[in-house]
Amino acid sequence: MLFQRNRWNCLMELLLDFLSRFLVQFQTPALAFLVGGMLLAAFRSKLEIPDAIYQFCVFMLLMRIGLEGGLEIRDANLADMLLPAIIAVVVGIGIVLLGSMVLACLPGVKTEDGIATAGLFGAVSASTLAAAMVMLEEQDLVFEAWVPALYPFMDIPALIVAIVLANLYLARKKEGVKAKTRIWPIISSSLRGSALSALLLGLALGLLTRPEIVYEGFYDPLFRGLLSILMLTMGMEAYTRLNELRKVAHWYAVYAAVAPLLHGLIAFGLGYVAHILTGFSPGGVILLAVMAGSSSDISGPPTLRAAIPTANPSAYIGSSTSVGTPIAIAVGIPLYVALAQAVFGV
Amino acid sequence: MTYKAAKVVIITEKVILEQVAEVIEAHGATGYTVFAAGGKGSRGVRPTGRAAVVDGFSNVQIEVITATHITAEEIAVDVAERFFQNYSGITYLEDVEILRSHKF
Repeated sequence: MLFQRNRWNCLMELLLDFLSRFLVQFQTPALAFLVGGMLLAAFRSKLEIPDAIYQFCVFMLLMRIGLEGGLEIRDANLADMLLPAIIAVVVGIGIVLLGSMVLACLPGVKTEDGIATAGLFGAVSASTLAAAMVMLEEQDLVFEAWVPALYPFMDIPALIVAIVLANLYLARKKEGVKAKTRIWPIISSSLRGSALSALLLGLALGLLTRPEIVYEGFYDPLFRGLLSILMLTMGMEAYTRLNELRKVAHWYAVYAAVAPLLHGLIAFGLGYVAHILTGFSPGGVILLAVMAGSSSDISGPPTLRAAIPTANPSAYIGSSTSVGTPIAIAVGIPLYVALAQAVFGV
Repeated sequence: MTYKAAKVVIITEKVILEQVAEVIEAHGATGYTVFAAGGKGSRGVRPTGRAAVVDGFSNVQIEVITATHITAEEIAVDVAERFFQNYSGITYLEDVEILRSHKF
């Protein structure tokens, strides 16, 4: 009896500890600006962030992440990257397969719309990743320098699987008319997207050249401030796009609310396995979960729009931008950080 | 001295700009002009200056001037048939007067 009560107390303590950590996360600037952007849009504020500024913010964030990664990868042991990279690929593909099957069973969901939505949720959001990195740095949670480089390992396979699945389905519907899906155009269009180009160039410059002066004097100091503008823009966009989501089946909203956290927790679990097997850092496990939980917002949608023209963009962009991304940032990141603090005791 | 010519105006999604340009050139047009466009249509409101988080989802307006009305019509019909089933867009023709006819 006494033993049982002790265990109960211990569990309650853990839960309370978890909840208080969770609440602290809500006060970080990234989340505050995201919610602020949503409020502005809700009150129909006339404030507009020009497109050019938004594009510049995205470039700055990805360049900074790339440069930092490149600079630090020089002294890193890249063999450690193997298992997390495999996990990233598996999670990216798994999310798309799981999501397509689940969405196809829901009423009012067109199969190719469901596949495109699952593809977007399997792909990775650069801004969500940047927000998570800032939150980890604020709390001195360390991660391996190559972790942001896992991004394309999850992003590209997810988009490829979604596009192949959709084309297989459409070909079957037409019966006999086999449209061959070419993989290379999907890869090249992903790599040419603004976010991945900046990240990869940053990595290469950091690895091969000596960009320390621009990194320390320009990219690194501006990172946080620009992230706040980016979060504000995303908040405004999320609220504005809610209207589009209203036009499609309600099940998209349900999927978009549940899927990011489920995907994040699956990746967290697999990351934990990598932690035990190869000593993958707790910060790395969190970032892997954040990548899995995020849904592509910059380069994924145009790739899908071009490759699956019959899918309704209101369905996949509405679910990812207006519900998926806010949940992934506002609930997902605090959840994985608090979970890591409970599990790893960091 | 001015000459009669025809102009095709195509307003559509930026994401298919390259494909539309290919169609235009395949019909022998010597050039075209592209503007950023925004407004309201059957598929919702597209912003002009505001940040479009989703790149490529803004609209563009493509203008092509052709020497004959027939070429202009062929371009308009071809573009509409190929793209407007799945992508949002409108297209229309206008009569214009041009100065240097050898340019078109």
